[in-house]
Amino acid sequence: MSVSVLKLNGSPFQLRGLVTRLYSTRKGEVSTSDPQKDNIRRYLYPPNIRNKATPTGTWRPDVARALQRAIPSVQAHETIQRAWLLHQRHIRKKRDAELQRKFNCMRQAMQELEEIDSRLFREANKQEDPRARSLVEVEALKSMSEPEKRAVESRVRGLFPRELRIPTDTPPKNGWPHEWRAFQRPLA
Amino acid sequence: MLSLRHAKPRALGFVRRNATKQVALASTAADADSQSSGEPVTLQKKQSRAIRTRRPRISLQHPREWNRPLAFGVLPAFDEALKVIKEDSMALKDEVKALEGAIAREKEAPQPDQHALRVLEDKLRILEVQSEVNFPQVRWKCANGMADMSKAVDRHLLEQRWRKEGALDLLMERIHQMNVVPDVLPDIHPSLDLRVNFPRVKSTTGPQATVSKAVYEHVEPGAFLLPEQTVEPPKIYTTVFHPEERLYTLLMIDPDFPDETNQTFQTYLHWLQPNIPLSSVSPSPMPNLNTHTAYIPPHPQRGTAYHRYTILLLPQHSRLSIHMVAKDKRAGFDVRAFMEQHGLDRNGGGGAHMWREVWSEGVPAVYKDILKTAEPKFGRMPRADRYGDFRGKKRYV
Repeated sequence: MSVSVLKLNGSPFQLRGLVTRLYSTRKGEVSTSDPQKDNIRRYLYPPNIRNKATPTGTWRPDVARALQRAIPSVQAHETIQRAWLLHQRHIRKKRDAELQRKFNCMRQAMQELEEIDSRLFREANKQEDPRARSLVEVEALKSMSEPEKRAVESRVRGLFPRELRIPTDTPPKNGWPHEWRAFQRPLA
Repeated sequence: MLSLRHAKPRALGFVRRNATKQVALASTAADADSQSSGEPVTLQKKQSRAIRTRRPRISLQHPREWNRPLAFGVLPAFDEALKVIKEDSMALKDEVKALEGAIAREKEAPQPDQHALRVLEDKLRILEVQSEVNFPQVRWKCANGMADMSKAVDRHLLEQRWRKEGALDLLMERIHQMNVVPDVLPDIHPSLDLRVNFPRVKSTTGPQATVSKAVYEHVEPGAFLLPEQTVEPPKIYTTVFHPEERLYTLLMIDPDFPDETNQTFQTYLHWLQPNIPLSSVSPSPMPNLNTHTAYIPPHPQRGTAYHRYTILLLPQHSRLSIHMVAKDKRAGFDVRAFMEQHGLDRNGGGGAHMWREVWSEGVPAVYKDILKTAEPKFGRMPRADRYGDFRGKKRYV
């Protein structure tokens, strides 16, 4: 809290946010001639206007009015809250129902596949190991340079595409990269 | 009213805070520092418009109609919220109608599937409540003591308030902390709100010393009462959450009655009233409670520690015929055996309440007028005087 004993506009003893009225002295007695005496007087007889919250927040008379302005009606607030949660619940239920429908369709499709062709069914049920490397890939890796090897190993199917351009506020300086070609990972 | 106002639980006797809070805004022109030049310096007059912190007195005795808290257009979110709630309610009401039709058809079927029927009925009850529970007028009415107990929504809201806003928690805290639970019964799970009212303490001096009408006041569970207050049977108020009528047994016991022969404590039966019909629309306070085993007022003996007086309301499966317990046979009552004998299930819900009492000047009157026996006085045995033989004799001969 900045304390300026003498202010340019003339009123003495202004602390930030608090007007210091020395009730200890009579009306004409406040003088600016001896700042040391005035300092001493200020610390001996501190101001006692109780119109602001205490520094550590033990007494906050301003909270009630601020709250009243922010939330003028409890009923309205609770109604809005309930309506919003209701709305979110509808969306969630719709999303879950759609997901459930898709899952059931998938399950039905797999059941029919099992009846039709058991080999394809087994293939469809196989879990893909993202780090697996086919024989072709292993052969190709042997004749690659280090950076190329790193590129192959780090681009895993199903991971976030590394080449995706991050959206920016302004377009790129170099315009559209017409010469760019996708890196082909050798597959089986 | 502050926005932190919640629906006050009726069972709790909260002390009313000061009616108004004077908020003085005295910011003068010299407030703004030279650094905070961004804020406009305004000269405001001293505003002391009070913020009312006390709830308005709205109840069934002083009813008021619900009005919109904010006019149309003041808060667009509120108007939108009302629209959403109304649409949801209409959709649910259509579902309720469809479900009722399905239930009727299931019942008319040649062999109705009981399990499916129960599932449908449960769903119907939930949908009925959900279709109305979001309306601000319904919630406001329940929060202000104007609930209509014949409606499922109001019953649901009152039950939620009793369970979640502290009244049940306070009762269970007192019951467990004062060890009523292992001493009287192994466990208690109340399903209805039981409130006990006893007359206020009468002052012995002044104009009130003469006979005046007793003012019955709510008793907080676990609070201390004077034996003078409990001479007459209490007024018992209940909030029951089931619409159908069920039978309950009222039991009032004192687990701290001294048993001299065994140097321990026994249970004393103060009051017993079986076959009380209770439903959500039954009259409150409960009438005709003293027709079976008459009420004997609490009489904590002189020299004993405080006595815990417990009132239990136990649900019955069917009408019971229980013998009246005579006045001199009240001590040594076994609650667990009684419940087993008459098929009372403590896990089936019910109500409970308790308070405490200590001997005071009003107890001898109870012994003289009602019990008509001598008043016992308990205490330690006098210590044997080791030097009794030598007292009074000459020591130095």
